[in-house]
Amino acid sequence: MINDLIYVYCIVNSLPELDHNMKSKGLKFLIFDDFYVIVKYVSENEFSEENFKKNLSDLQWVESNAREHIRVISEMMDCCTVIPFNFGTIYTSEASLKKFVSDYYASLIENFHHIKGKEEWSVKIYCDRKALSEQIDELSEEAAALEKQIMASSPGKAFLLKIKKTGLIENEIIRLHKNYGQKYYDEFKNLSESTSLNNLLPKEFTGREDTMILNATFLVNKNKVADFISTVETCRKKDGNSGCFIEATGPWPPFSFISIKEKQ
Amino acid sequence: MHNNVIDRSKDFTLLELLDRVLTKGVVLRGDIVISVADIDLVYLGVKLLLSSVETMERLKSGKPIIV
Repeated sequence: MINDLIYVYCIVNSLPELDHNMKSKGLKFLIFDDFYVIVKYVSENEFSEENFKKNLSDLQWVESNAREHIRVISEMMDCCTVIPFNFGTIYTSEASLKKFVSDYYASLIENFHHIKGKEEWSVKIYCDRKALSEQIDELSEEAAALEKQIMASSPGKAFLLKIKKTGLIENEIIRLHKNYGQKYYDEFKNLSESTSLNNLLPKEFTGREDTMILNATFLVNKNKVADFISTVETCRKKDGNSGCFIEATGPWPPFSFISIKEKQ
Repeated sequence: MHNNVIDRSKDFTLLELLDRVLTKGVVLRGDIVISVADIDLVYLGVKLLLSSVETMERLKSGKPIIV
């Protein structure tokens, strides 16, 4: 079948360097106005509306294509500032892609200006409830005060106070999670140009035993990236024993900081 | 220069990847795009996949890049 659909990876605003490997994969760029659109011609077999939808139910297909999507965009980041498209954006003709570029010209320029010289970094922080509850008397004044009371009480009263403490620990853990999340967020925000908060993911998605307490993305100026990474390392050393685990990944293409507005 | 995602993109978890590429960047501007309902279906697939113990172990061993 002829490859006549256009799969779009990203737009760059300077002449891209496509190496031999990329060209052999069928990647090419189309020039519209001041922009270079990185594309690949793909077949209806895979990407017609109907077949694409079918393929989306095949997670293996999704994974390999999503990885390829990010790989191509990341490679372009080496030479250019990129505006990434989301996975599976297909145009049926060059004319229609050209129309998109000229319709959104001003917004594209604005976005390039916003992301120039910056990288997207993701920070996810997890907290181990067990580690927190074991240290709760050191971390919470209220818990410590209650523990003191328990120690000084008769067995009967101590029993009741222990039940009270179980409830208190639950609330204190929630409070500590919020505090830690906010503290880390503020710390990384200070080193960033923009931030984006994402939903906290439940354990069934993270595959981890501990609780996610922060899921944020930061747009970091390239000259601040070293500071950003060393802050991750410092936080990790400082708070490693408190049951918090910091996962930082990047540099990602600036997926979270693109906003293409409708033409006025 | 620090490690770039491309060299080690295999190490990213599927979820981390999908979180970005499905709903962010330039969205809903093509002639054919993934609908919100389709995205939900992909996530449902991920959820089913993750509920298998074997997959969970595989994903756990494929640790994301940690700086």
